Amino acid sequence: MATEQDSSYAQGFGQVSRTAGLIFRYLLLAATMFGIVTLAVLLVYVANDAIQPLTADAGWHLTFFLTLVLPTILVGGALYRRNREALKLGGMVVGALLVSLMFSGGVAIVFIDIIPPLTGFSYAVGLVVAVAGTVLLTKYERQIPFTARVAATGLLFFLSLFGVPGYFHSIPELVQKAPVVPTDWIILTLVLGGVTALVVGQYIARVREDNKAGLAAGASALVLTALGAIVGPLVGIDANALVVVTAVSFVPTAAYAGGSVITREELKPGLVFAATVIVGALVGAVAVDALGFAGPQAWTDWQFLTSSHSGSAENAGLYPAIGGSILLMVTVAALSFPLGVGAAVYLEEYAPDNRFTRFIDVNISNLAGVPSVVYGLLGLGVFVTYLGQATGTVLIGGATLALLILPIVIISSREAIRSVPNDMRQASYGMGATRWQTVRNVVLPEAFPGILTGTILALGRAIGETAPLIMIGAPNVLFNLPTELSSKVSAMPLQVYAWSSLFASEDFYTKAVPAGVVVLLAVLLAMNSIAIVLRNKYESET
Amino acid sequence: MSTDDLEADLTRNTENAPRELLTRSFFFLCAALSVVTTLSIVGLLITEASKFFSLTAPLMGVAGETANLVDFLTGTTWQIHSKEFGVMALISATLMVTFGSAIIALPLGVATAIYLSEYASPQARSLLKPALEILAGVPTVVYGFFALIYITPALRVVFPDIGTFNMLSASIVVGIMIIPMVASISEDAMSAVPDELRQAGYGMGATKFDVSTGIVVPAALSGIFSSFILALSRAIGETMAVTVAAGAQAKFLNPLNPASYLEGALPMTAAMVQLLTGDITGGGLAYRSLFAIGLVLFVITLIMNIISDFVARRYREVY
Repeated sequence: MATEQDSSYAQGFGQVSRTAGLIFRYLLLAATMFGIVTLAVLLVYVANDAIQPLTADAGWHLTFFLTLVLPTILVGGALYRRNREALKLGGMVVGALLVSLMFSGGVAIVFIDIIPPLTGFSYAVGLVVAVAGTVLLTKYERQIPFTARVAATGLLFFLSLFGVPGYFHSIPELVQKAPVVPTDWIILTLVLGGVTALVVGQYIARVREDNKAGLAAGASALVLTALGAIVGPLVGIDANALVVVTAVSFVPTAAYAGGSVITREELKPGLVFAATVIVGALVGAVAVDALGFAGPQAWTDWQFLTSSHSGSAENAGLYPAIGGSILLMVTVAALSFPLGVGAAVYLEEYAPDNRFTRFIDVNISNLAGVPSVVYGLLGLGVFVTYLGQATGTVLIGGATLALLILPIVIISSREAIRSVPNDMRQASYGMGATRWQTVRNVVLPEAFPGILTGTILALGRAIGETAPLIMIGAPNVLFNLPTELSSKVSAMPLQVYAWSSLFASEDFYTKAVPAGVVVLLAVLLAMNSIAIVLRNKYESET
Repeated sequence: MSTDDLEADLTRNTENAPRELLTRSFFFLCAALSVVTTLSIVGLLITEASKFFSLTAPLMGVAGETANLVDFLTGTTWQIHSKEFGVMALISATLMVTFGSAIIALPLGVATAIYLSEYASPQARSLLKPALEILAGVPTVVYGFFALIYITPALRVVFPDIGTFNMLSASIVVGIMIIPMVASISEDAMSAVPDELRQAGYGMGATKFDVSTGIVVPAALSGIFSSFILALSRAIGETMAVTVAAGAQAKFLNPLNPASYLEGALPMTAAMVQLLTGDITGGGLAYRSLFAIGLVLFVITLIMNIISDFVARRYREVY
């Protein structure tokens, strides 16, 4: 018996069958690809329904093939063989332009339609005054005790932003009542263009290591933004809208492209690639217009993005839902970012190793597993029933979603904080820094990119959530843009749900819903790509 | 531990300065908020749900209609209009989605994890992992729409008598949705298996297939098991996909009977959304039933999370 077995082993030795291993390997690969391929097929279907590329004229496809696709392939192919890094930069510039265009659309909704420019401007002035006062106070840091300084800062912000009714006008009030107020486009240029100029100027000053160059770059950014208002009416675009798009999209993209080329000369060919794509798309658009070729009958079109719900799928639009999603995101970010980072800092930097800390720890990981619909119940029960808030407002929607993503923000922030090397902390303590000084000057700046990545990914989760919003009573149909924290809110996924359930019909299934899904996925894709780019940059730096 | 003490020593003199006190209390309050959240969820669900049952309603000082606890837990008919609250009808539908998605997600997820941790080149990994993350990142309402509009018609080719709303399509999309969860947690567990074990296997003449299935998977079993439970808990709590795709008619179906997957039913989460979209008034019996279902759902997912945590801790092989 034993000898038989031995001989069989000896015979098999040296010629192990590879079939089983190979089959196994390809089975594993197939299993890995199953979900990805299924989703890809579904995405192709929904994109086809939403955009209907086949309804365009053949000439339309041919024109764009000649002006956009062919040059892109040629230039891209040449760069791919010679200078892959440059091609990567070119791709990044095009991607940055697309993402920032989408972002500038959101900014335009907020700063033109939701907050009237004058109101925004008056609060910006109030904020600037308060911040200037605070900076002045820090000059006398040594003379004034800390508690008095905190109280004074709080009072300063309160007085300048809200005033005391009847006694003391707040600065926003004074600005709004001023006899001469700047027009909308000047305000937008000053506020948005000013912020852009500041950021761009600092960025250029850093890469050129030259403060004058930074100043020049900042000034030209401001001038370019103002130019948007002058050029806009000439080409038939609203001046305010073009100012926002210039300040938020064009100028930062140009600064990014210029800055990368300044630091690394050899990447210059990448800009040729970016120019090929952008010019190709513009030339193609002008050409099909001139030649009279009809484009695809897309359901995701300008009309869909700018109109509100309608009983017929052709006229239905997503505008109030887009505005609602933006306001929700702002509220969620404003609530969950400080709270989540604060909790992470406490657990990583302050918490003693005791039972309560361990309890918080277990508690957070369990909260991350609570179904979103239960968070919706929490919002309904606590905010609506017990605190007596109105149902379905921006504030309680944002607060509920913020609670939902808080555990995710805490967990990812903790990971980012934990990855800060301990040596840096000890160096800071060794210099005599207190715990808060170490957190503020060492830990948070080091961990910031990681925290930001985690927060953006968590916000991406929040923007796709529907169930909590339904539970807190957000309306299924909303015709007006929410303008305040207390107005009723809709959101993109909620509108998609309403169309696919309450207005269920073949028309909505094939027109409005796919169009809404495509917009929602495009926004998510933009957010995730920002997070992934941030993460890659951060990982390659450390 | 020693660094902790060192830091405490270095900051002891300043720790009660007003600025330190202020910042420390702010951070503490942020961390304590998570405890407050949990307590509010538990407190809210228990108080509201106890107003629903005739057994506990008098304790809460609630008069009016109530439901019998035993009928709620064992009843198999869910009819709001005729005041029949049998949660078993909803649980059976939730179980079906869980079973159905498990059949898809567990084998595929583990296979994905084995491929990523043992076979894939670093380049393939760097492409496949973000692609898998996208699967988990698509909003669930979009998955529901996909199931309703694209998957159900495709399934009708194979099963001609499948309903417009059916459990099969819902299970498929929920399964696809939770693959990344199984895959990433299992892969973490497999990557944690030390290379010495693999090399010992190769030294004995084992093939890659033998090493993967005979050494890595058994060594990572606790992690794989905990990923299963977490993913299933996610499937149970999944809301929008099943709300859109699984239907609106509560029905008691046998989860083990394959034919019942062609019918539509109403899982717990979908029932909650349906209760809210219908016009129920605050304080009514239907409103309170919402919290009773919520409590059942919360308890089930909490128990599963705790089991998963326990398995991962207790049975982890320490190398």
